[in-house]
Amino acid sequence: MASFLGTDGIAGPAGANTTTEPAHHKAYQGPTHMLDEHYLTPAAIASVEIHGATNTRRSLLDHVIKPLVADPAGSNSTLGEVLDRIGVATRKLSRFDIFKEDAFNVFISEAKKSETALPSDKAELDVSIRVKEKSRLVFSAGTDFGNAEGSAYTNAVIRNIFGGAETLSVNASTGTRTRSAYNATLTSPLNGNPDLRLALDVLRSSTQKPWASHEEQLTGGNLRFSWLSNRNETHTVTYSGVWRQLTSLASTASPTVRADAGDSLKSSISHSYTRDRRDNPMLPQSGYLLRAVSELAGWGPLQGDVSFAKYEVEGSGAVPVSIPGVKGNTGISIGAGFRCGALYPLPMGYSLTGPAQPSRINDRFQLGGPTDVRGFKLGGLGPHDGTDSVGGDIFAAGSVNMLLPLPRTGADSPLRLQLFANGGRLVALQNKGGVEKEGGKRPLAMGSNAVFNSVKSAVGELGNGLPSVAAGVGLVYAHPVARFELNFSLPLVLRKGEEGRKGLQVGVGINFL
Amino acid sequence: MASTGTPTSSSPWGSLQIPRPIQQLFNRFPLVTYNANNLPARTQALTSSNLPTLHVFSTDEDALEGLPSFNPTCLKWQTLLRLTKTPHRILPSTNHASPTGALPFLLPPQSTSSSTKPIPASLLSAYATKHGAIPLPSSSSATKEETYLSLLTPIRNAFLYALYLDPKYSSLLDRLYIHPSSSSTLVRKTLRYQLRSAAAASILQSRSLHPDSGREQIDGEAVFAEAQEALEALAGVLNEREGWFFGNERPGEFDAAVFGYAHLILSFMDEEKGLGRVLREVGEGAIVGHWKRVKIEAGWDI
Repeated sequence: MASFLGTDGIAGPAGANTTTEPAHHKAYQGPTHMLDEHYLTPAAIASVEIHGATNTRRSLLDHVIKPLVADPAGSNSTLGEVLDRIGVATRKLSRFDIFKEDAFNVFISEAKKSETALPSDKAELDVSIRVKEKSRLVFSAGTDFGNAEGSAYTNAVIRNIFGGAETLSVNASTGTRTRSAYNATLTSPLNGNPDLRLALDVLRSSTQKPWASHEEQLTGGNLRFSWLSNRNETHTVTYSGVWRQLTSLASTASPTVRADAGDSLKSSISHSYTRDRRDNPMLPQSGYLLRAVSELAGWGPLQGDVSFAKYEVEGSGAVPVSIPGVKGNTGISIGAGFRCGALYPLPMGYSLTGPAQPSRINDRFQLGGPTDVRGFKLGGLGPHDGTDSVGGDIFAAGSVNMLLPLPRTGADSPLRLQLFANGGRLVALQNKGGVEKEGGKRPLAMGSNAVFNSVKSAVGELGNGLPSVAAGVGLVYAHPVARFELNFSLPLVLRKGEEGRKGLQVGVGINFL
Repeated sequence: MASTGTPTSSSPWGSLQIPRPIQQLFNRFPLVTYNANNLPARTQALTSSNLPTLHVFSTDEDALEGLPSFNPTCLKWQTLLRLTKTPHRILPSTNHASPTGALPFLLPPQSTSSSTKPIPASLLSAYATKHGAIPLPSSSSATKEETYLSLLTPIRNAFLYALYLDPKYSSLLDRLYIHPSSSSTLVRKTLRYQLRSAAAASILQSRSLHPDSGREQIDGEAVFAEAQEALEALAGVLNEREGWFFGNERPGEFDAAVFGYAHLILSFMDEEKGLGRVLREVGEGAIVGHWKRVKIEAGWDI
């Protein structure tokens, strides 16, 4: 069974004049050398057939193929343009992630000319695309590396459930810190566009947070809408409703953690933006990354138990260093990264001037750790209540590093020697406007002026003195799945209570500062 | 690890000594140490107090005034701390915050000792003896105390039954325990379900039934009848001896426990019928009289 699409009826794949059947990568890249001379020949597509899309709805394929056949340029299109358009369409099909990548075959043949056509007319082409669908049900199990955590998972994926490239993924995992996590995600492309996706996921997890002596249990769901812009930037808009339960406190838990224990519902809408222009995300040697996340929780119709605006930006970049006399890639590069963020407490409801609740530990930022500000323990920077890292509302962190290839292995190996220095500040809001009632009893909520003044003075506090800094040297190994670092570092500047690490530190993760 | 080797080095790293010059070099770091970061506003508002903090079920407003908790067990210990004039303040909290999984617990102020290990309810009477201005009455024979304590179980069951399982008090349950946890309807529904199941399981267990056998198995009439008997027994004891339980000079732990239930039943349950009526009527108001006396002793103007 196949889905047939076309304007001029159905033509078989027989009578192939031009058959391109290279490896899949080339097939999408359009022209081959043989075709170069015919590049400027006028051409149009007479019909397109797709074979092998047994379980796929025709309407989905229509979205991709229709523009191919519609020929907006009228009669002026050349063979080169036609081939480019076919390339675009097949790439689009492969991004649905329902067809096997290495089984794409594109056959192009000249259509039989109708008797009425003029002999000098442009070439009419029949296009036949053969695909193989990926298996609809896939089970997998394995191990995973996230930032500073390893886990084992089992996963079931049902692809193309309704024939419109919808995917349901059910995942269960347990890890070094995540005691258990279950989630199910249903994703669907919108309007037949693989770069425009709507995803709904439900999750339940329980994660240990040893840096603040507690365990956080999450139950909730997200509705995510993501798209890829023309400039290859990823945008995601998410509505998220999560019931957080801060529980199972350690016997040594600090008063701050005890005061924040219990339930809260976060209902928030967030937008994230990513522009990734790095040559290799695990070992960037050139290019840059920009990321911005903004979140609005609790305010207005969002309801919930917490209300704040949160903004976080991250930028990092690397430049290769060339040495005079050494040709090509030396494998040496200098990189830098910067991150900062702020949490601004808001009143509940639609008011802008009403009293706002100060932030809770599970909404505040944490800073420090082997994949973050190296040379500090996880959550090692910022305010500490006893040994608990209680987080802060405003932070800024930066790093510089130099990557050098090891003498024997050379520039192409994934191993590097790293020299780095990084530092940051994490500051919590103080209730500046809080009028002390008699007996030292302070009200919890802050007025809008108090919030503003607190944020202002916290931002000022960022620049008070040197940031907390650590520097060191280490080895980097960039595996395609994750980046491994073994660093030796010493803290240079600290604040009392902050937990630096003298000596060796291992970092495994995907995002490094 | 094999522990058959020499006992001096249990791990291969244990024997590794850092050379002195390097150790000295390491000790120079960090080069600069500033003052500690200030704690977040929420911490400062909630936990900065020189007083030991008793974490109980309460509301923000009640806690500021030191008013009675709305949970019988919390109220018992709060009353005991007041009776012994043990300095403390109270903070609204949840079971999640407690080291035992149930409120109340006491958190000593941070300044006095480096460790701020919480004191669970089971050790509070020892704490009150140590830090209170007024000593607790010396405890009488253990068997006597046990008999009296067993009288509280049916009262507890009836109180749980009324508050959690009787639809008449569902709005009270919401106001006291459900609404403060979250403003979300879904979360509230889940919590209500969990609390009701837990209350049913607890009643079933104390009535020697399997905790999972379902709340239909609970005979509300029987639970109430047992509570009535227990209240009558307690009132009888009080009528014989005008003052406090066990014939003590001053009110003690058991008086505080009875007050915990009596105060909540009198505050929340009407006098027309049920627990509210029985408690008011037994022994010609003996329990109410006791409640009034404890209130005065504890210095509550309520």
